[in-house]
Amino acid sequence: MPFSLRKIFPYLFPLFFIAALIPVLRFEDLPPADFSFSNGTEPQSIDPAKVTGAPEGRIINALFEGLYRQMPDPEDFSAMKPVPALASGHTLSEDKKTYTFTIRDGATWSDGTPITAYDWTFSWQRFLHPETAAEYAYQLWYLTNAEKYTGSKLEVGDKVEIELDDRQYPDQHFPRGTILSGLLNKLEKIKTGEKDKEGKPKTVNIYHVEMKPETNGIVDWKAAGELRKFTNIGTPEKISEPHGAEKVRQVLIHFSEVGVKAVDDKTLVVTLKNPTPYFLELASFYPLYPVQRECVEKYGFPDWTQTDNIVTSGPYLLDFRKLRDRIRLKKNPKYWDLDSVKLNIIDAFAVQSDTTILNMYLDGQLDWGNTVPNASIENLKARDVDNGTNELKIAPMLSTYFYRMNVNRPPLDNPKVRRAINLAINKQDIVEFVTRAGQIPAHSFVPTGLPGYKEGMSGEYNPEEARRLLAEAGFPGGIGPDGEKMRKIEILYNTNEGHRDIAEVIQSQLEENLSITVSLANIEWSAFLKKTHDMKYDIARAGWIADYPDPNTFLDMFVTDGDNNQTGWSNKKYDQLIADAMQEPDPAKRLNILSEAEQIFMDEMPISPIYYYVSLNLVRPYVKNFHPNIVDLHPLHIIEIDQEMKQEFLKNGEDVR
Amino acid sequence: MSTFLLKRFLWMILTLWIVYTASFFLMHLKPGGPFDGEKKQSPEIRKNLEAKYHFDWPLWKQYGYHLGKACRLDFGQSLKQKDKYVNDIIREGFPISATLGVCGLSLAVLLGISAGVVSALQRQTLLDFSFRTLATLGIAVPNFVLAGFAIIIFVFVLDWIPAAGWGKPINLILPSLCLSAPFAAYISRLTRTGLLEVLNQDYIRTAYAKGLMTPAVVFRHALRGALLPVVSFLGPATAGILTGSLVLERIFFIPGMGTHFIEAVLQNDHFVSLAIVMVYTVLLFTMNTLVDLSYGLIDPRVKLQD
Repeated sequence: MPFSLRKIFPYLFPLFFIAALIPVLRFEDLPPADFSFSNGTEPQSIDPAKVTGAPEGRIINALFEGLYRQMPDPEDFSAMKPVPALASGHTLSEDKKTYTFTIRDGATWSDGTPITAYDWTFSWQRFLHPETAAEYAYQLWYLTNAEKYTGSKLEVGDKVEIELDDRQYPDQHFPRGTILSGLLNKLEKIKTGEKDKEGKPKTVNIYHVEMKPETNGIVDWKAAGELRKFTNIGTPEKISEPHGAEKVRQVLIHFSEVGVKAVDDKTLVVTLKNPTPYFLELASFYPLYPVQRECVEKYGFPDWTQTDNIVTSGPYLLDFRKLRDRIRLKKNPKYWDLDSVKLNIIDAFAVQSDTTILNMYLDGQLDWGNTVPNASIENLKARDVDNGTNELKIAPMLSTYFYRMNVNRPPLDNPKVRRAINLAINKQDIVEFVTRAGQIPAHSFVPTGLPGYKEGMSGEYNPEEARRLLAEAGFPGGIGPDGEKMRKIEILYNTNEGHRDIAEVIQSQLEENLSITVSLANIEWSAFLKKTHDMKYDIARAGWIADYPDPNTFLDMFVTDGDNNQTGWSNKKYDQLIADAMQEPDPAKRLNILSEAEQIFMDEMPISPIYYYVSLNLVRPYVKNFHPNIVDLHPLHIIEIDQEMKQEFLKNGEDVR
Repeated sequence: MSTFLLKRFLWMILTLWIVYTASFFLMHLKPGGPFDGEKKQSPEIRKNLEAKYHFDWPLWKQYGYHLGKACRLDFGQSLKQKDKYVNDIIREGFPISATLGVCGLSLAVLLGISAGVVSALQRQTLLDFSFRTLATLGIAVPNFVLAGFAIIIFVFVLDWIPAAGWGKPINLILPSLCLSAPFAAYISRLTRTGLLEVLNQDYIRTAYAKGLMTPAVVFRHALRGALLPVVSFLGPATAGILTGSLVLERIFFIPGMGTHFIEAVLQNDHFVSLAIVMVYTVLLFTMNTLVDLSYGLIDPRVKLQD
């Protein structure tokens, strides 16, 4: 045997090569798309409840739709404005806490069934449900009791819903098991004797519930009922048995207590905790878009998001999805506003390397590149001047690049030291010589450009004033009260050339202007996050992008013990002002209160704002209706291609095939 | 031979287990986890997330649970590509990387052996000299630098090939060329040295004395012996092709396993990284075993030890 095998061996190699070419020959020829763009990293999911990023947002905005939708303001294209979408309109109650939306006639799912108000009650319940583990769940915590629902938090006297352990598919929380209702009479917390990961003793809950009867989906809360005990499914037998507690999947606050109700097919009533002037912006934010109950319950997650199964509501349908390659969208013939949808086929490429994006754009494979390598900005500007075009679009964005200062670590515990550091940083130099893309030096945490809002003021670059403040703080010339030099301050940033360059400039400015010794520490992204979350740093870089166009998205993160505060800073007056602003129904007064709060924040300086980001987009001249704006959102369905101009461009352009 | 294969198989199982265990604990012990982001979640949301993916369990319990599933070839759901099961991701990415890898490897062997044979036969001529210079360059220049030059020349100056992407046969040309370059260079040197040594041997002189023509001598008699070092290089070359394609897939925007691997590691998508590490281990082990087997086929003097 080996002998004959030896003879054929040399011929095996070409066979191997041919085998590899079979998949190549099986490449199918795709029809070209009308419009192609780079979408950044591959979307983590196309389920609106599961994601938080911008690339996901672009796809979900094309596939799905909400009550409202963010569209360019016809009066000022650089601003976005919520316009009615699946809702045809809304009314707002006098106390500004109750929104009543009317669902649009003729709005249908892609399978032809009508979209009703009940689709929102289901979708929002799913979105808030603890087992969905939605990272953006807090975007809906403006509704009454929504936060309690997500956090499975209960108090005695609450109306509760109990899901029995009889699910159709145990690993899917929709369709749900049998739901019982009742009043929580007593809540016992019992130690299991085990410890959790942080070494704290683990506890389990025993719920004592007075059961209430339910007829036709309506619970009679006044009827008398028997008393039953429940516990969560993970509770050990040794605890549940002696207490006589039944094991159930979930005990949550009754969903009828959460501020969303479908009165009938066409009417959705939303009740908020506080007047929230930006609620329409939230209603047009993709995590709050409805999904179809039948589809989700039939296939479960993640199968319902597959091309063959998914049912959507937006201007586009999912044609196919190739992981880390592209998502192809095609026009949805059942969309209610079909006339406004211009393009038939759109390709969203999951390209990540910005150099590759530029190559593909210059080579004619992309009509829109969503980012630009820093090093090419100058060349692209010059190219626009040479060609007389405006392909590189730079626009201010609602986001800030800033440095956090750890106020628990001396000498940064002294506000004067922090202000001195801020005043000693020449931000103009940084945007002019380091970032060089037209970023705007920052004088406040909330970026400029929000109508009606006056930002706080942190002061202009002033080394003299900075030295004076440092001396007042007890460090004249960088020498402390004990005659020793101020201790070395460390700037922490995650591995990235851009961050390093900025940190180096700031290092030299602080040394030059204040005689402070600064060291730089560069660590990998997830280790960096861990260190900043645990507050193991002196100064750390950070960036914040607005969730919605309102100063609150920036300011509410710095309340005492806020999850994203991470500086240890706390100010009673500030907390009070943020809370007051939340209650204030008058929009102008509210903005004034927030302004006042930001001024306190800027005077105390737990952060030093460096610059406001800009969005960089490369768009071919024949693409119409693409408007740079402060949230960098570009609705795909209104984009048009000027075919005549495109043909001409293709003929003349040298770098386009 | 079957005992040899059985032994190798058992070794592979052991290796897989060790690699799995080491990777699992390294991934979980590194600071920062899959749920950390620029925005920190509120404790309630964090708790729900950790409970969903069993991150609230003690580490040894998670290890047992996931190892048990991995033994049944079930790597679960991706932490970051939430719409997909890990197996789907590999099923989509693997054929793409395999195509690219095999093309790169074939091209390397084809170019390398041809250049090596020509060099050896035309020893100390201009042709030999230029091939050897090219080979030195090929080994010295990293493939991403080569990719940059290739893009400038073929995409922007000559305008023959699209800049990046996947889906058409033309998309294969640049990446496989860049992938194969260093290996082609190395193989050509190995072939040249091997052939020169063999050509001086007595049996070659005998073949010439019989009156055989040069092509017959070289291809039927000399090359077989000269290729042994090349074959043994194919094992490490496979490893090199795998790591090389990590970078090139990103530059040429190819949705292969390399791209998935880099992203999974950077984003702490533990389940995907673990599964891909396992695939790489199996692949390397198989390639090395095949190389060992082929020794015996090429050179009758080699006997496989049981």
